[in-house]
Amino acid sequence: MNSAYGVVAIVLICTVTLAIGAFGLRLSRTTSDFYVAGRTVTPYRNASAIGGEYLSAASFLGIAGLVYTNGLDMLWFPVGYTVGYVVLLVLVAAPLRRSGAYTLPDFAEARLESTVIRKLSSVLVVAIGWLYLLPQLQGAGLALRTVTGAPTWVGGLVVAVVVVANVAAGGMRSITMVQAVQYWIKLTAIAVPAFVLLGAWLGDGAPSPAIARDTAWAEPLNGLAGQGHPVYATYSLLLALALGTMGLPHVLVRFYTNPDGKAARRTTLTVVALLGAFYLFPPLYGILGRVYIPELPLGTAADTLVLQLPGAMVHSQLGEVLSAVLAGGAFAAFLSTASGLTMSVAGVIDQDLLRRRLGRMTGDDFTVAQGFRLATVLSVIVPYAASRLIEPVGLATMVSLAFAVAASTFCPLLVLGSWWRGLSTVGAAAGLVVGGSLAAAAVAITIFAGPIPGWTGALLGQPAAWTIPISFATAVVVSLATPGRIPRHTARTMVRLHTPEDLALDRG
Amino acid sequence: MSNDARTEHDPFVALQDSPEFADLRSRFRRFVFPMTGLFLAWYFLYVLLSVYASDFMSTKVFGNINVGLLLGLGQFVSTFVITILYVRWADREFDPRAAALATTIGDDHR
Repeated sequence: MNSAYGVVAIVLICTVTLAIGAFGLRLSRTTSDFYVAGRTVTPYRNASAIGGEYLSAASFLGIAGLVYTNGLDMLWFPVGYTVGYVVLLVLVAAPLRRSGAYTLPDFAEARLESTVIRKLSSVLVVAIGWLYLLPQLQGAGLALRTVTGAPTWVGGLVVAVVVVANVAAGGMRSITMVQAVQYWIKLTAIAVPAFVLLGAWLGDGAPSPAIARDTAWAEPLNGLAGQGHPVYATYSLLLALALGTMGLPHVLVRFYTNPDGKAARRTTLTVVALLGAFYLFPPLYGILGRVYIPELPLGTAADTLVLQLPGAMVHSQLGEVLSAVLAGGAFAAFLSTASGLTMSVAGVIDQDLLRRRLGRMTGDDFTVAQGFRLATVLSVIVPYAASRLIEPVGLATMVSLAFAVAASTFCPLLVLGSWWRGLSTVGAAAGLVVGGSLAAAAVAITIFAGPIPGWTGALLGQPAAWTIPISFATAVVVSLATPGRIPRHTARTMVRLHTPEDLALDRG
Repeated sequence: MSNDARTEHDPFVALQDSPEFADLRSRFRRFVFPMTGLFLAWYFLYVLLSVYASDFMSTKVFGNINVGLLLGLGQFVSTFVITILYVRWADREFDPRAAALATTIGDDHR
């Protein structure tokens, strides 16, 4: 493959990202600007930004790879990613906006009036954020190697450096602009090559996928994903995606950047349309891959299928240009998702874990911006180091594990927190700890122990279906047992969460 | 810090106990919770159909397009339709009532 085009495309994307970030920097003045872009982002731009941030390495490269290797069941990934938004919108978006909090830990503290819960939530936000950043950095390494032959550590490093530069400099307002632009870059980068390739496929007489020798591929729920119990695995995955979206730190913060509840609803509607439009394409690459690349060359991950397909279908410069366009789009995906995640993780590290310690160490001889910048570097270095140490288990699989942890911890906290007056401080903490440790244990075993056969493997590989109910049950049972620990201002907080913004009550 | 004596006159608690507020919340719950259950059920049903009704799902509708594929695409469409339904409902039913409540309470409290 001619690597020149690919390098040009990737350099171009990184430069554009930095340039828009620098432009946004001049607009970012206040704290509110920094964290929630002054709550003045229009629904349409905000929706583009959400779409831009949400379409990660898993969406751009991972789904096509999964459809290619495992068959059409993998369409559940895109459906689940989209459904998560609707659940978030109808169940928790409005109460959360009204709480006036900027982040998940802010909400947890405001609702449960406990700094312990705040600390727990902070640790979870960082853990989920890192788990989600890991595949972005691994994906960047894979993509750059496929296009240019560079060693895998280079790609991850490029993304890490660009993201740190942008986040540390401009905060949320510049990130919002970067991401809004990147949604459209990604959609173009995946759609245009798809149409060209479809044209080539029709030109070849529309051959069928080479499934004759591998009939299971075309069957639904064939268990090719290495899970012995595909119905369970699919249900569990769907639950994780539907309920985990609300617990992803970088997703939630987007709902605060809307000026009011009505705009938040408009935003979600647009997001669902934008995501739906994008997700029509990755499966197409998976299916065309079945037609033109019956077997992937040894030593290449299925996650790189999207990048290899043009070269296999169009034997000319056109194929190389298309590959380069896709590589650029993939980098846009890594950069925008990683920026949003880094923004959220850094915010929490800065506010909850670093500031006081830094103050003690330096005798308060540092500025707020310096603290945030240090937090930004920390929040990228750790997952980058991990991405060098941990063998890739597949981009989409990795991301689904982050969803499972989010769904087993923040989903109960948010849903019970905004709908049940009986939630006690102890109950909420117990739910977070139990759900979080079970899900984290399952994730760790899945990553480090490799594939495990039978039910054990299925339950550990897709933990959401049992960890979510256990977490909910723990929170409810412990709350019922400790009615004395229900926060004293619960009635007041609940009114605030459920009264529309224009109600002229004191929200302070 | 607030104390129990103050809580008795807390406008927030008064609002929480008012029938209008209870009505607003129960309207919201009556619409949102069943809808959430219904659309999750619909996604789960699709998985079941793929496994246990594969003959039905592989029925050709036209050309190579079968029922399963159409319903699969329908998942995206239904997600969008559900969101539209919710947005419309909130605009038409919820917001005006909330605004009406806002004016009654806001006058007392300003």
